Amino acid sequence: MTGEDRIANGHRCGEDAAAYVLGALAPDEVQAFRAHLAECAACQKEVAEFEQIIGALPESGPRYQVPKDLRRRVMSEVRATPKAQAAPRRTPARSWRPALAWGGAFAAIAIIAVVLVVALGSGGSSTTTIQASTGSAELRIAGGRGDLIVHRLPQLPPGRIYEMWVQRGTAAPTPTGTLFAVTSGGTAAVGVPGSLSGISAVMVTQEPAGGTPAPTTAPVIVARLT
Amino acid sequence: MLGSRGRSRSVDLRALADEELMGLVRDGEVGAFEVIFDRHASAAFSLAYRMCGRRPAAEDIVQDAFLSLWRSGTGYDPRRGSVRSWVLSVVHNRAVDAMRRVGAKAGRDVPDEGIADRLPAAERTDLEVERRDDTRQVRSALDELPPDQRRVIELAYFGGFTHAEIAEMLDLPPGTVKGRMRLGLTKMRYVLGEESRVTV
Repeated sequence: MTGEDRIANGHRCGEDAAAYVLGALAPDEVQAFRAHLAECAACQKEVAEFEQIIGALPESGPRYQVPKDLRRRVMSEVRATPKAQAAPRRTPARSWRPALAWGGAFAAIAIIAVVLVVALGSGGSSTTTIQASTGSAELRIAGGRGDLIVHRLPQLPPGRIYEMWVQRGTAAPTPTGTLFAVTSGGTAAVGVPGSLSGISAVMVTQEPAGGTPAPTTAPVIVARLT
Repeated sequence: MLGSRGRSRSVDLRALADEELMGLVRDGEVGAFEVIFDRHASAAFSLAYRMCGRRPAAEDIVQDAFLSLWRSGTGYDPRRGSVRSWVLSVVHNRAVDAMRRVGAKAGRDVPDEGIADRLPAAERTDLEVERRDDTRQVRSALDELPPDQRRVIELAYFGGFTHAEIAEMLDLPPGTVKGRMRLGLTKMRYVLGEESRVTV
């Protein structure tokens, strides 16, 4: 602590910034700190400075040679994945299936576990929770960013993982790159990458480990932003 | 723009920047992915191995991370950092998830540098040579920290432990652990700022 620390919104400035960038805060502490961070310029500055250090840490250790078997396995798997399934094409006409077709595909198989409808305010903080038979979820919004907290979702078998998607308007969902597992109690807390501006929905599906470029199962969570 | 697959084959993929290669990866260009793998797999494996301390677990994490890149390469946003930092971030997050799934402390030890299956250092490519100075400076800045500050930073970042877990492990008040983290990162920031040569 320094003598210049001040208390804002019940939070002592600087107290949690280092632990936050090191990933050493518990999920509830992360939510509280992010809410504080959205409104505290001093902590935003400190986090930004610390993140530069953290970004360099991965390469601070000894370097090891990549096992040849690992390279062979990865490239074998990549070559076995048809290019058409590898990733959406960048040309819009090829990238996205029509929204109606996408919705229809889900409608045919979807049993949506949790659906939230969240009013996206103008920069304020909000938390919306909904309960459902298969679990519950919260979407916490602060400073235009969101955190999704789920409870009582089933643990997935080996080779499967939860994947987060975002949807803009009625376009097909795009992968956020966020893949996660839940604890034995079915809990997880994950941040929605980037700003929520322009996002109409945040979704979660069950996918093969490693994720997919487009959803292959019905969403188990849909948070609609209005 | 190298959007055409046929055109991409006519150029030397290894001469392209990562960001250009990622455009080709999104188009399903295996050769571009292979170059990305060769450039960053050693750093990714080294990080995973350092965190897990077990070669099979580290290999699984790296394989999973790169296959994710191949399948969902659109998740990369160049506005948020380099391809390398993105890959390492994915590896770090997955390693932490894997260690927390294991749960038991015995499975989350910080690796022993003398572990039997440690691999020989890789031959450095030109790109690796370019990064070597920065890496040395970061390592030096970490090594210069008082041991109690370095310890909590390493346990948090490479061990995946929360400040409360570290406090319990070291029999310290939680506030002390967070204070040491902050002091350590502040000193590193000062040292590296003096060097003014850190690139991420």
